[in-house]
Amino acid sequence: EEKKILFYHPNEVEKNEKIRNVGLCEAIVQFTRTFSPTKPAKSLHTQKNRQFFHEPEENFWMVMVVRNPIIEKHKDGKPVYEYQEEELLDKVYSSVLQQCYSMYKLFNGTFLKAMEDGGVKVLKERLEKFFHRYLQTLHLQSCDLLDVFCGISFFPLDKMTYLKIQSFINRMEESLNIVKYTAFLYNDQLIWSGLEQDDMRILYKYLTTSLFPRHMEPELAGRDSPIRAEMPGNLQHYGRFLTGPLNLNDPEAKCRFPKIFVNTDDTYEELHLIVYKAMSAAVCFMIDASIPPTLEFCRKLDSIVGPQLTMLASDICEQYNINKRISGAEKEPQFKFIYFNHMNLAEKSTIHMRKTPSVSLASVHPDLMKILGDINSDFSRVDEDEEIIVKAMSDYWVVGKKSDQRELYVILNQKNANLIEVNEEVKKLCATQFNNIFFLD
Amino acid sequence: MQVLPRGMAADVHKKKGWEVPNGSLAPGDGQHAERSESPTPGLAQGTEPGAGQEGAMFVHTRSYEDLTSPEDGAAVARSPEERRGEPAEPTSMEQISKDFSELSTQLTGMALDLEEEMRQSKEGKLELSPQTTRRDSVLSGKEEEDVTMDAWRMHRKHVFVLSEAGKPVYSRYGSEEALSSTMGVMMALVSFLEAEKNAIRSIHADGYKVVFVRRSPLVLVAVARTRQSEQEIAHELLYIYYQILSLLTWTQLNHIFQQKQNYDLRRLLAGSERITDNLLDLMAHDPSFLMGAVRCLPLAASVRDAVSTSLQQAKAKSLVFSILLSGNQLVSLVRKKDQFLHPIDLHLLFNLISSSSSFREGEAWTPICLPKFNSSGFFHAHISYLEQEMDLCLLLVSTDREDFFTVSDCKRRFQERLRRRGVHHALQEALRTPFYSVAQVGIPDLRHFIYKSKSSGLFTSPEIEAPYVQEEEKERLLGLYQYLHSRAHNSSRPLKNIYFTGPRENLLAWVTSAFELYICYSPLGTKAGAISAVNKLMKWIRKEEDRLFILTPQTY
Amino acid sequence: VFAVRSGGATGVVVKGLEDRNPISFRMEDKGEVKCIKFSLGNKILAVQRTLKSVDFLNFIPDSPQLEYTQECKTKNANILGFCWTSSTEIVFITDQGIEFYQVLPEKRSLKLLKNQSINVNWYMYCPESSVILLSTTVLGNVLQPFYFKSGTMSKLSKFEIELPAAPKSSKLSLSERDIAMATIYGQLYVLYLRHHSRTSNSTGAEVVLYQLPREGSCKKTHILKLNRTGKFALNVVDNLVVVHHQDTETSVIFDIKLKGEFDGSTTIHQFVLPPRSIQPYQIPVAGPASVTSQSPVPCKLYSSSWIVFQPDIIISASEGYLWSLQVKLEPVVNLLLDKGKLMDFLLQRKECKMVILSVCSQMLSEPERGSLSVIATVFDKLNHEYKKYLEAEQSYTMVVEAGLSRSNPLLKRPVRTQAVIDQSDMYTHVLSVFTEKKEAPHKFTIAVLMEYIRSLNQFQIAVQHYLYELVIKTLVQHNLFYMLHQFLQYHVLSDSKPLACLLLSLESIYPPAHQLSLDMLKRLSTANDEIVEVLLSKHQVLAALRFIRGIGGHDSISARKFLDAAKQAEDDMLFYTIFRFFEQRNQRLRGNPSFTPGEHCEEHVTFFKQVFGEQALMKPTTF
Repeated sequence: EEKKILFYHPNEVEKNEKIRNVGLCEAIVQFTRTFSPTKPAKSLHTQKNRQFFHEPEENFWMVMVVRNPIIEKHKDGKPVYEYQEEELLDKVYSSVLQQCYSMYKLFNGTFLKAMEDGGVKVLKERLEKFFHRYLQTLHLQSCDLLDVFCGISFFPLDKMTYLKIQSFINRMEESLNIVKYTAFLYNDQLIWSGLEQDDMRILYKYLTTSLFPRHMEPELAGRDSPIRAEMPGNLQHYGRFLTGPLNLNDPEAKCRFPKIFVNTDDTYEELHLIVYKAMSAAVCFMIDASIPPTLEFCRKLDSIVGPQLTMLASDICEQYNINKRISGAEKEPQFKFIYFNHMNLAEKSTIHMRKTPSVSLASVHPDLMKILGDINSDFSRVDEDEEIIVKAMSDYWVVGKKSDQRELYVILNQKNANLIEVNEEVKKLCATQFNNIFFLD
Repeated sequence: MQVLPRGMAADVHKKKGWEVPNGSLAPGDGQHAERSESPTPGLAQGTEPGAGQEGAMFVHTRSYEDLTSPEDGAAVARSPEERRGEPAEPTSMEQISKDFSELSTQLTGMALDLEEEMRQSKEGKLELSPQTTRRDSVLSGKEEEDVTMDAWRMHRKHVFVLSEAGKPVYSRYGSEEALSSTMGVMMALVSFLEAEKNAIRSIHADGYKVVFVRRSPLVLVAVARTRQSEQEIAHELLYIYYQILSLLTWTQLNHIFQQKQNYDLRRLLAGSERITDNLLDLMAHDPSFLMGAVRCLPLAASVRDAVSTSLQQAKAKSLVFSILLSGNQLVSLVRKKDQFLHPIDLHLLFNLISSSSSFREGEAWTPICLPKFNSSGFFHAHISYLEQEMDLCLLLVSTDREDFFTVSDCKRRFQERLRRRGVHHALQEALRTPFYSVAQVGIPDLRHFIYKSKSSGLFTSPEIEAPYVQEEEKERLLGLYQYLHSRAHNSSRPLKNIYFTGPRENLLAWVTSAFELYICYSPLGTKAGAISAVNKLMKWIRKEEDRLFILTPQTY
Repeated sequence: VFAVRSGGATGVVVKGLEDRNPISFRMEDKGEVKCIKFSLGNKILAVQRTLKSVDFLNFIPDSPQLEYTQECKTKNANILGFCWTSSTEIVFITDQGIEFYQVLPEKRSLKLLKNQSINVNWYMYCPESSVILLSTTVLGNVLQPFYFKSGTMSKLSKFEIELPAAPKSSKLSLSERDIAMATIYGQLYVLYLRHHSRTSNSTGAEVVLYQLPREGSCKKTHILKLNRTGKFALNVVDNLVVVHHQDTETSVIFDIKLKGEFDGSTTIHQFVLPPRSIQPYQIPVAGPASVTSQSPVPCKLYSSSWIVFQPDIIISASEGYLWSLQVKLEPVVNLLLDKGKLMDFLLQRKECKMVILSVCSQMLSEPERGSLSVIATVFDKLNHEYKKYLEAEQSYTMVVEAGLSRSNPLLKRPVRTQAVIDQSDMYTHVLSVFTEKKEAPHKFTIAVLMEYIRSLNQFQIAVQHYLYELVIKTLVQHNLFYMLHQFLQYHVLSDSKPLACLLLSLESIYPPAHQLSLDMLKRLSTANDEIVEVLLSKHQVLAALRFIRGIGGHDSISARKFLDAAKQAEDDMLFYTIFRFFEQRNQRLRGNPSFTPGEHCEEHVTFFKQVFGEQALMKPTTF
């Protein structure tokens, strides 16, 4: 029995306990097969917790147990603890569980691969190694709708600058010919991805929630120092490696880059991930794992990419500010909304503060976020277009809109507005923010 | 033949010393009609359309039973009459139709079997095999259904009832025997979590839910492919639970399992499966259960008043409730002073009546427990149709098992009064059109609506018309109402307004502390249109309220 | 060219470069002919036989064939020569000045228009700019230009040619041979061939260009380094300065438009290409057919007997040939390896288009595939030229539309030179071919297309739809849909109906294309009908109707169209909704819910009844 367990957190749990709990999961899944052999249980609700089941690969199961929040009530004097059973949103946490797998797969490949590489032992090791660190980074209490989408925030950019970036990337790929894929980000927002959507999605999550935050401080410092002055001519630039060698002049410098696995369901490619950043612009170069990048290569990359990227970064920055001035988007957006497009995974939220290494904080009451979650799960039941407008007990209005694979959620606090006014507000929002896309009203 | 055992049964009761201090017939779950402040101008609670003027006729109900409270600790009270265990006249039984008599035999005669079993088991004998008589009359062929077939799996809603020993008590589809192993697993899951001081609530998968409700000594499980919320499904399971109680009483149920842990309850419930089946079917297309309220037969106030007074005058000492109903709509209800009938109990009565055609054959006299009112004792219900061809059923609830003739006489008096008041004809007219059309409201985009007055516990709703002609469309519509309802009453995130624009219709829900309104209209209707529709509709209901509701509930 | 046979009456044969039929005539011998020239249009012949006078002869049909003479006005001045500045105007250059006459053929006399006395060593006339250059002063290195135009003679500011070394003696040290005049890039230049001198440490001879403006002083602008010594001759062809070097029998080409090192006042140029010889010319052997067997004789090039005339004439006295020099561009492509420089060079040439296009195709394909940055620069150069033309064109049309064309007559439609390579040229000759071949890795192919689009955008040139199609086609061929998606996301492929339709056609292989195309149609804001069609085709009848209503067109649409769509959707609920909608529209517009025969909805009414029953039909509401 115990052999079945590949990874269990927390590990301190006593062996039989583990076996029991795992047994329950098996039982639940088996039990539901009697009613739907193909679609077994996804989650189990109990008084104290919720358990989420995910079968990412055949016969491999991942289970996550989340405790229901407890509130202390006072019944005739003495405190009673009560579980709040309706607080956790299934969709949020099952997505979190699935992301756990995707993230593991990104850096370790599939479970099956591990089994082929070295049987259970290797798999256990990899799981231990990966999840031990990864689980620390999960902040379950602050998970919300955005985790369901796991979307990509794209950087708004004018055509010309975008084309410049395009030709920059093309030239880099030409001159660093071992580069297989490239991704380009600015301000932690994506501008270009050579990877396929789903791989990019998880890589993006890794970059924005883990890698970039870790390197924030030095970068901020770099920004302040005068740059324009010595820019042209000499190769003075602000490029640096976020992965790989820290100091290129040190001949001992290690050129070890994280390995990632992409297109795992067809070509199954193994790549080195090189992340190189200059000011707010970051480029990911992905090169085939069979070619270990040497220090010379890193130096070459630095010398070629560094200056150009620095230039480009300041170009983008300028352009961006110009556009901002034009659209007058500097001021705090008056609308609190979340937008997601299933077609390109584009995501936009004025509800969440900028992602910090720890969490992405929502600026509205958790209950409202949960209502968003409810609406979202209502949407996902049918694929036709729907619109849901609700008024919460707090008198906040919450609007959910689903139009051709796009979802828009708006929170309005015009307390005593009526439905028609609310509708007008949303229309206004769409006109200002989404006038260039086809949105049914 | 039936006399003796009942006598013995009574003795048993004595011996077992079930008696409890003479309790008054207080409302089952001790709730009172608290008046909450009104959020909607001009619609203070009790003044919204349909609000009863002289207090409610029902116990005030929450939208959901409190599912977390392990038991409803009903005041185990029984009327003094109950204690007298004199044999009833055989004649009284002859009037009861054959199959129903069997059922009641099962119920009232259970003590005997229990005694015998006890004795036998004491003598180390094997448990009796279930009587051959059980279920013969209600074999619906469902036993043959193969529980491994997709057809079986794909049923929209499965319901299972089992005992704590994991023994099957009821299954909506497929024979309990075939499912005993499945039910075993269910019980195992339940007890596994209970062993950890935890409680299983539900399992969620793509396209279906499994919901568990624990009501010791029973476990109720539903597997639903509907869009209902977990809460709603649990709510329905509770109905099933109450349905069982209404046949056994809570006290007896517990007693049985205290006596015999792995008792096979099916032998007691034999014949009642159809009632349960009917209840489930009813819940699938009648909003009453969702609303936790009762719908009235649209009737001119004058006529209704006449009927009510007639009922009122045809009273007897032992009568607690006199109820006149048609289909599943209430025509009139008269109750003993400060005795309140819980809508759930009334629904159970409605269901009981609609589930058997046999009542048309004459007067039935049957013991019945109203679990929300008093889950520990039996009432005795006199059930009869006023006239053969007329769908008008009279239900007189008495506390006295022996009072059959008195009660039967009440019926006579009532009918005679009706005739004298000459409303009989008007009644017949009303019955010809038991439902009104939404077109009467005069809003082109409006397709259907449900309006519930919270204070009176009554709701009104037009006939479901085009485009909802197919049965599945009707159920889909109800499903949408269920969806709105569950969101509006979400226990942790309730909502005041919901406006839903869907692919087939638009819906609007408006919940205040005084009333609930759900309207369904064209998907091409605008929001502005919806708002004006609501206002227009509210005016209309106000205008029609004395026809659609019972504004002046009567007491004896 | 005049061939003059003396002895008895002089026979003259005149041959031009272009005109095939030579003029030939005879005139009585009045002594040796010093100089003989036709006026422009060959109407009047001027012959100088003496130092003092010039004789004239009319060639106007039926006008007296009698000669008439004009003596130079200045006393005891000798005529150095004369030149026609128009069909009836002639300038005499004497050693003491110049005299500007008008010839009156019918009167058979000349009228002095203007004259100017000045010491002249020698003169030089440039017909295309009708400027006469006089060498004055003792050293002769002070040049005085005159400009003639319809009866007027204007004196331009004189200037001095810096001689290589301070002249030892005060003898004439600037010879006519070392000076040439030519118009290069529309500017008149005086080219001075400064020979190598031991004293100055110059590396060999050089050609110095003085720009000679209509007004203002003439200034030294360019120096062309020859880096060699010996005998040279100049031609100007296609705005290129061609310098022939006799010793090496090669010529070098200079393009003053190309970048050179600028020392503040003048730019120093090296020759564009390595020295090359003029393509040898085979003299076909004349004579009876019997002897044609022997191969033609290659004629001696760079012979000392050569005389060059500006701009591009070479005469071989010995062989008796007259050539006009031309520059062949094809070989240049392989001589000039710097593609950027090559483009600069080619773009200035007359016959450049095909060469340029071939260069483009060449740099896109193996073996000489260029790097992206090179390709980029080439594209930019092309589009720069392209844009200039477009702008000129645009401002022209603007003026025309504004009706100002009459007000300023000198405004004329800009000429489209071969250097203007537009998108269709690139598409047909380069890009489409290139993408067809598929020899290059698709990454490169796409990169190139994007570069071109980038370049066009950079010059704010509206990109043609077929280029986008090319991009999409290529992306689709390699299933790079996500790439395509990103391009569209950033509006790299600008919106257009055809593009939207193309996307729609992709939906089957790439579902998101549907959304993309709808967005595009929406942005176009002129495509509402298309949007409705798309939605209907997807049975999204509700969406279509809501959309129409959103733009307020729901009272005019055809009920039948939508009912049909609803019926095809096989969704009774939908059909009901749509049917109801139109019933209500009828009610609203005509006070009656029923359909008029004109709407042809009978079948739908019947269907409605059969599904929902007669009573479900909307009743006429009466107010």
